[in-house]
Amino acid sequence: MARMKFLCDAERCIACNGCVTACKNENEVPWGVNRRRVVTVNDGVPGAEKSISVACMHCSDAPCIAVCPVDCMYHTEQGVVLHDKDLCIGCGYCFYACPFGAPQFPQEGAFGLRGKMDKCTFCAGGPEADGSQAEFEKYGRNRLAEGKLPLCAEMCSTKALLAGDGDVIADIFRQRVTVRGKGSEVWGWGTAYGPPKGGQKPAPERSKP
Amino acid sequence: MANLARVLGWVGVVAAFILAGAAHAQPVSSNQELIQQQQQRRSEQPGNNAPVWREIRSGQPQFNSVPGRESGVLIVSSGQTWRALRDGPIMRYGGWLLVAVVVAIALYFLLRGPIRLRGKPTGRMIERFGGFERFVHWSVAITFCIMAITGLVILFGKVVLLPLTGHVFLSWLAALSKYLHNFVALLFILSLIVTIITFMRDNLLQAADRKWIATAGGLLGGGEVPSGRFNAGEKGWFWIGVLILGIVVSITGLVLLFPNFDQTRETMQIANIVHAIAAVLFMALGLGHIYMGTIGMAGAYRSMRTGYVDETWAKEHHALWYEDIKSGKIQAKTEQSALGELQRQH
Repeated sequence: MARMKFLCDAERCIACNGCVTACKNENEVPWGVNRRRVVTVNDGVPGAEKSISVACMHCSDAPCIAVCPVDCMYHTEQGVVLHDKDLCIGCGYCFYACPFGAPQFPQEGAFGLRGKMDKCTFCAGGPEADGSQAEFEKYGRNRLAEGKLPLCAEMCSTKALLAGDGDVIADIFRQRVTVRGKGSEVWGWGTAYGPPKGGQKPAPERSKP
Repeated sequence: MANLARVLGWVGVVAAFILAGAAHAQPVSSNQELIQQQQQRRSEQPGNNAPVWREIRSGQPQFNSVPGRESGVLIVSSGQTWRALRDGPIMRYGGWLLVAVVVAIALYFLLRGPIRLRGKPTGRMIERFGGFERFVHWSVAITFCIMAITGLVILFGKVVLLPLTGHVFLSWLAALSKYLHNFVALLFILSLIVTIITFMRDNLLQAADRKWIATAGGLLGGGEVPSGRFNAGEKGWFWIGVLILGIVVSITGLVLLFPNFDQTRETMQIANIVHAIAAVLFMALGLGHIYMGTIGMAGAYRSMRTGYVDETWAKEHHALWYEDIKSGKIQAKTEQSALGELQRQH
């Protein structure tokens, strides 16, 4: 089965924030939470500016899954990291562990008390029945169940952000690098999916909690 | 990460920053050198973006239109270190340390039994703890137990409880633990401060403590060493446990409790590691104190509950304190009690 991954091509990203907006709209993300963000390095400096769109990378050895004290996070068969908001206690440990700053907490009550964690679901919903109202209200759209890919990548105007089967998007990227002869760095993949070793191992399968 | 000097310095910084109430993230200052390198690279080696990747790796916040703390930081590696320390040595050694302490105490109790009075109780009672002292002690004792149990649920629940209870019950218990831990924390810190102030004077080290330490309080034979109001063991618990570990746990806990002061993830990761280590040591020492104060020594629990001890108890366990009372150096209330009831208690 396909192993889902994100890939952001820093040679192409123009920081239009279309992916951020698409995500917020499609998933009706809670106020104050941004599942995806675009970071611009050396903003406005000619010859040195690069932009990257980042969200949950759905890591193979996901630190958030490892540290969750109630074991509410899991890998789907496609390697997508999802969580169960009914079990989440809002402790913030996934937020400490995540290298990409993906887990977000809506503030609930005074003194920074954390509500239930929210993050990118690769447009794959949550543990509820696919496409159900309950799933949509908690996690947003389950596009994967409808046979569609995450909307952020689908809407990307320069096709800098790729989402889908890791092997397929890696091939697309490789072709681009061959043609343009530069910009071969795949940002974040070493951290998220481990060092490249000629074809990725599929993520360890785990049942839903 | 475990660099002691750095951690200590950091605790000081955090204390200052809590007092100040607000600390601001470092201003966005791009590394000029890396920018120039990148501009140069573009003409010399087009497509080589190494300086840009280095800049991203530096952890400096970059431009970002999404509001939020550290939202301009693309990647932070210290979370992996935090995870490795927490899920590794802290859970492994911390967990087994607590198990070992419980087993050691249980074995000692089974083999040697509680420390009983050798002489007969006289029925003349001396006040050992005043009403305020007992109130302070039980405030900090009860809140300590709540903090310890809820903390253990959050640290070890996934390993120990999950196979027994399943996800739904553990989540419910952990949520309850989180709220208790967060709110009781403030009561605990308050009672801890009052405890330190109340008991500090009588816990100052005396000459007699040296001999007590040398013979481990008579544990190595030779009978119990005379001590003042508190013996060196109790003083060790006070200075190392209540004072040092208590303050470390409180400060690191406050850093984690109020994430709305713009502290970075790295600050909270270090705080969590220090918090967990100090808390495990605090609990390990606390188990010893609880044992001696309850089933380990006859009359000890009664003294903190009613405030009074028998003269024989005072003579056997705190001889110097007893002499000071007899000579009138220390004023202590005395009381006559029914002897029959006493003999049953001791």
